[in-house]
Amino acid sequence: MDIDALFDEPRVESDLDMLMRHWMNERHAPALLPSEDKLLGRLLDRIRRQTDTVQALRGDPSSSEEEHIRIMLVQTEVERVKFVVRSYIRTRLFKIEKFARFIAIDEDTQSLLTTAERKFAIELAKNTDQHFMSTVLQSLPEDQRHIDDTHAFEPEMATKPDRNRAVFAFALKDCPPVLLPEGRQMSFRKDQLSLVPFHVVEHLVNEHVIQLV
Amino acid sequence: MSDTSQFCDQATQLIVEAKRSTQTDTLFKYNDSLVRSVVREQRDLEKEMAPYLAVDDESVPPPIIIYQAAISRNKRCLLAYHNHRLERLKDLYWAVGGALPHILSDQDIRSKLSPHEVDFLRKYNGDVMQFRSEFSYELDITAGITHPPKDIHVAVYVVRDCGVIQTEQGTIDFRKGHRFVVRRADVEHLMVQGFLEEVV
Repeated sequence: MDIDALFDEPRVESDLDMLMRHWMNERHAPALLPSEDKLLGRLLDRIRRQTDTVQALRGDPSSSEEEHIRIMLVQTEVERVKFVVRSYIRTRLFKIEKFARFIAIDEDTQSLLTTAERKFAIELAKNTDQHFMSTVLQSLPEDQRHIDDTHAFEPEMATKPDRNRAVFAFALKDCPPVLLPEGRQMSFRKDQLSLVPFHVVEHLVNEHVIQLV
Repeated sequence: MSDTSQFCDQATQLIVEAKRSTQTDTLFKYNDSLVRSVVREQRDLEKEMAPYLAVDDESVPPPIIIYQAAISRNKRCLLAYHNHRLERLKDLYWAVGGALPHILSDQDIRSKLSPHEVDFLRKYNGDVMQFRSEFSYELDITAGITHPPKDIHVAVYVVRDCGVIQTEQGTIDFRKGHRFVVRRADVEHLMVQGFLEEVV
């Protein structure tokens, strides 16, 4: 039997490992990735349960000194997990704010968001439009009041994610070949690290075989 | 307008102001008069263009192209100026951990905002609070994300009075000049807003 096969045995990934992976992906990807609300829900549940347990144990006078130290370790760990969750949510929020007007009209991107995120994006886009309307557009002559101008040589009014941005992609396992922009094919081998445009590996990131680093 | 000025000069000034604001990392006072005069220029341009539009001709007279380019440039500059300010305000908002009253009660900042910007911030704050309430039982998403927590407790120095605060160890009256060791999560928002300083 091949000894390497033993080491290659897939390790069971904990929720926290998964969160770390999604957090890194989200931070490196120029566009929004699918939301992980189930995973997030599980983690939040556990944070809540642990916080409650910690509270109960702290209030219990019969807890020993050693237990108190352990409680502190648990609390520290909970704080650290909360930090990652918070950072993950805020990273998504940052992108949502940046692309709000685009999200409001693009159903593909909307499908990647949670209900709360979608609502936030649409409200923000509305609020921003409203602000432009009341500060600038309503005082302009009638013909100039619409907001969605498209002129040659001018950037579009709604900022879109730049899927051509280069990312460092790390292969977690051997991958099916991908098509590079110049038409050449490339297959990732396990543990290979490459600098490629994001759109080339986007689907593989979503299938969890490529990790952005 | 002086004789040497060209179309869009004033709009360019707005952009220069926005750029300067980024480079010096400061919020400038809302330039109402300049915005108004660009809007006035828009109306003038529209009027000056009208006679050329009236000409019933298959070809497009060159002046129209020039007027239209000026109009669309002015408009874009106006929008860019306002958008830039919104971005700055949002940064400001997150820098104090989403404490809107903290921003609006600051006379210095308040005097630099236009009434519409205050409206925008109020609405924005409402949306963020709504979004935050999704997680409110477990964590506060408006807390800092720059430094991962290394310790659950933190030694703080009170810079400004902030009254009696409910913490895990009971209530603490934070008076100026005192020092406390408290749980970081309890006072994070006070640190972000500048009431407390970490003792290193």
